[in-house]
Amino acid sequence: MADSKIAKLEVKRDICIGATPCIVAAPAAMELDGESKAVYKVKGGAKSSGPINRDQIEDPSVDDATLLIAAQSCPVKAIFLWDENGKQIYPE
Amino acid sequence: MAEKKYLIIGGGVAGTTAAETVRQLDPGGEITIVSTEPHIFYSRIMISKPHFFLGKVPFDQIWLRKEAWYADKKINFIGGRTAAKFDTAARTATLDDGRVLNYDKLLLAIGVQARRWTVPGADKKGVFYVRTLEDGQGLMAAAKASKQAVVIGGGAIGFEMCELWKLSGLETTLIIREPHYWDPVLDEPSGRMIEDALEKNGIKVIRNQYVTEAYGGEAMEGVVLQDGTRLPCQAAAVGIGGMCPFGPAQEAGIKCNRGVVTNEFLETSAPDVWAAGDAAEYYDQIFEEQTQFGSWSNAQMQGRIAGQNMAGRRTPYRAVTFYAVSGLGINIAFVGTVAPVPGRQIIARGSREANAYARLIMKQGRLVGATMLNRTAEIGPLAKLIEKKLDLSARLAELADPKFDLKTLVV
Repeated sequence: MADSKIAKLEVKRDICIGATPCIVAAPAAMELDGESKAVYKVKGGAKSSGPINRDQIEDPSVDDATLLIAAQSCPVKAIFLWDENGKQIYPE
Repeated sequence: MAEKKYLIIGGGVAGTTAAETVRQLDPGGEITIVSTEPHIFYSRIMISKPHFFLGKVPFDQIWLRKEAWYADKKINFIGGRTAAKFDTAARTATLDDGRVLNYDKLLLAIGVQARRWTVPGADKKGVFYVRTLEDGQGLMAAAKASKQAVVIGGGAIGFEMCELWKLSGLETTLIIREPHYWDPVLDEPSGRMIEDALEKNGIKVIRNQYVTEAYGGEAMEGVVLQDGTRLPCQAAAVGIGGMCPFGPAQEAGIKCNRGVVTNEFLETSAPDVWAAGDAAEYYDQIFEEQTQFGSWSNAQMQGRIAGQNMAGRRTPYRAVTFYAVSGLGINIAFVGTVAPVPGRQIIARGSREANAYARLIMKQGRLVGATMLNRTAEIGPLAKLIEKKLDLSARLAELADPKFDLKTLVV
């Protein structure tokens, strides 16, 4: 899993409860929106729960490890990650 | 040199994260987790979330680690056992089965337990707390088997259980002792907004009352209120707060107050003993006071810091934590410290009428916390304002203007 590169990301809004550990783990990449749902900060200052492509994340300093830790930190498993081949990396 | 022995009491998010962190920094150390619950690490908070409670996802999604993870990381897991005695001079913990474990580094990640309901009949079948996996299974079964249910207590658990009983199709009544919801953490307009959301969804709210008895046979058939009203119900969810089970730690001479007292490094009063998570009453560098904060993210971050420090680093815990819950058409969020402490100045931002209301909590001109209803998008800038410890005493009018963009203060 650690070798897979993240290509696509999504916060499932119907599962996300706004518990916020993902935002703590990846504050440069994620935040809560007005409905208490986690969103990615994407290029152009927009926010999106996704699915988004990896390269849409606005801050270039955010690495894959951080995005993976953010997903793994979710206590309700609302964050989904896929690799370049469309294979789901997380949740396992 | 012998490998270090790390003993972690508590298998929840703080304890598990600490074990994981220690392993990253000390590949050879001996790590043992002792958990009162028999289960490996699971998502305690998933129990009271609709998608799980209503069975929309498989029950197995509750597990946050696999059995194999413990073996892979060479972490010993002792489940279903409680640490009954500590000796901080001899560096031992004695479990409730008499087993004695030695340690070089000890972490108390013992969490809090649900405060027990003490009314006559509180031991009847149908009375539930909302804390453990077994509690969750009991609640889920009761939701299917009952027609009427009550919720005791106006806090986070009470709010979630009102929604879950209602979504399960039960006639639901909330009983709170206080004049409004979440008093005294929230003010009256905030509390009423939550009650509005409950009542709009068909939940009956009874204020200024408490239950004097749960009646019935072996199973509860209803509750009697202080004014004599009998309320038939087959299930009660009790959310009246938590208590840290620090007895054995305190008996060992470790300083405890509401929780296990620590400094900013999460070190307790005993050498080589740390505390983390809901149980830790830590010195908060940002608020400059002792603080206890029960939330998933706080427990996780403290577990990480405690693990680092047990493995030889000395990193202070410094974070602005927040807590958010939503349902029934309302978003509730707390950021920073929101305890109703005398001497705080409260700035109202928005209103109940506007259905978007925050209370900004100031300590000596600085923002230290906020309660937010339907204003959760402001968590980010508010957390930054708290973290930066800015003197905002000249900006109070702007803080009180709900149209003022808080982000402009952060830069």
